Amino acid sequence: MKNLIQDTLNRIKNEQIVPEPRWKILVPKLGIWTVLGLIVLLGAIAVSVADYLLTQLDWEMPASMHQNVFVYGAIVFPYFWVVLIGLVVAGAFWGVRKTETGYRFSWLKIISVTVVGVAVIGFLMSTIGWGGRFNGMMMRDMPYYAQHTVTKETQWMQPEKGFLAGMIVTVSNDVIVINDLQGSAWNVRLNTETLVRPSVSLAVGQVIKIIGTRQDTQNFVASEIRPWMGQGMMGLGQGRGMMGADR
Amino acid sequence: MDEKKALTDNNLVELAKESSEMFGLLMERYQGPLFHYVRRITQLPAEDVQDLLQEVFIKIYQKLNEYDVDLKFSSWAYRIAHNHVVDYFRKVSARPQSNVLEDYEWEKIIHAGINIEKDITNKDCVTKIKACIQELPMNYREVLILRFVEEKDYEEIMDILRKPKGTVATLIARGKDELRKKMQENNINC
Repeated sequence: MKNLIQDTLNRIKNEQIVPEPRWKILVPKLGIWTVLGLIVLLGAIAVSVADYLLTQLDWEMPASMHQNVFVYGAIVFPYFWVVLIGLVVAGAFWGVRKTETGYRFSWLKIISVTVVGVAVIGFLMSTIGWGGRFNGMMMRDMPYYAQHTVTKETQWMQPEKGFLAGMIVTVSNDVIVINDLQGSAWNVRLNTETLVRPSVSLAVGQVIKIIGTRQDTQNFVASEIRPWMGQGMMGLGQGRGMMGADR
Repeated sequence: MDEKKALTDNNLVELAKESSEMFGLLMERYQGPLFHYVRRITQLPAEDVQDLLQEVFIKIYQKLNEYDVDLKFSSWAYRIAHNHVVDYFRKVSARPQSNVLEDYEWEKIIHAGINIEKDITNKDCVTKIKACIQELPMNYREVLILRFVEEKDYEEIMDILRKPKGTVATLIARGKDELRKKMQENNINC
């Protein structure tokens, strides 16, 4: 039997083998942690946009559309972002397991920590308005995404279904003119049955949401008017006559 | 000499980074255990095991800066040996073949695998069981060797194989199941 120790030491000396420098070991580790950080950031963005999309919607709409709230939920659900969150969690699991000590953590612990981390950062981003900004960027730069995403704007730009929104351009006794969210002008007719929510201000420059019936490509009869933000439920609703008295 | 023996593995690692001669002390300490481990999992002749072990020691030396003091040095060294053996068999595209486990080593696996209380005295029976163990896939055979021959605890096996505890437990349980199944298939009833 050969002298393994001496042979190995001789080989180390003759071939001038030395321990690899620390930086060479740290770089790949740092790489994995950087990728992990980016994965978590992507997950947080997905959470913030999904949160934005779900909270900005009008959850009273199904009632106005005579639709089941679950069917409505299935239509407006942000599938793209939820699938992305799932991929992020799977990616983070894979990344953690690739780290030096990742095998020591159970899958449940890795997934729980990832989900909580992504959710906390995501909701913080959402709070400071990043969810809306990211969604806006996607809507602007990715036509396919814009086509398949239900937002408050797309919800309220369905005149054929009786939903319209826009900025008031002129106001007269029975008719207000608005520029809708796509820039088209509409004459919106009000009558004694029109319910104007209490916090609505029918003044030029105000953005409003209207439920009613489309007459043609430029005329719309309003049965209800709401402010753009919220449901306008501060106090009791009022009829057209009362609104007229206010003015 | 006693001073050197009193040094911990971690001390030796630090000293070895400065001087390859000090690495000789680490090799001295782990030559035996790693030789037996590599022999058991590869089932190669001693000469070949020595060649493999030299490569393992060179790798350990090159990776000294990578050693994490939270791990037991032995687990880390076993891990490098395990990885080297896996690479070796991948390169030569061969599975370990010959039977080089000592009788007492076989018995440990047999007893653990089939939960027998009595000693197996029938030589023919032992031979048949050995054949069943050799037929096990390498991942099962290796965990059984680590657990019952090397007598490593679950934490150490986790660190050596870099697998979660649940996976290690599953591999051990499945390895034992596979062994029992193979014994049934071969009508071994000792």
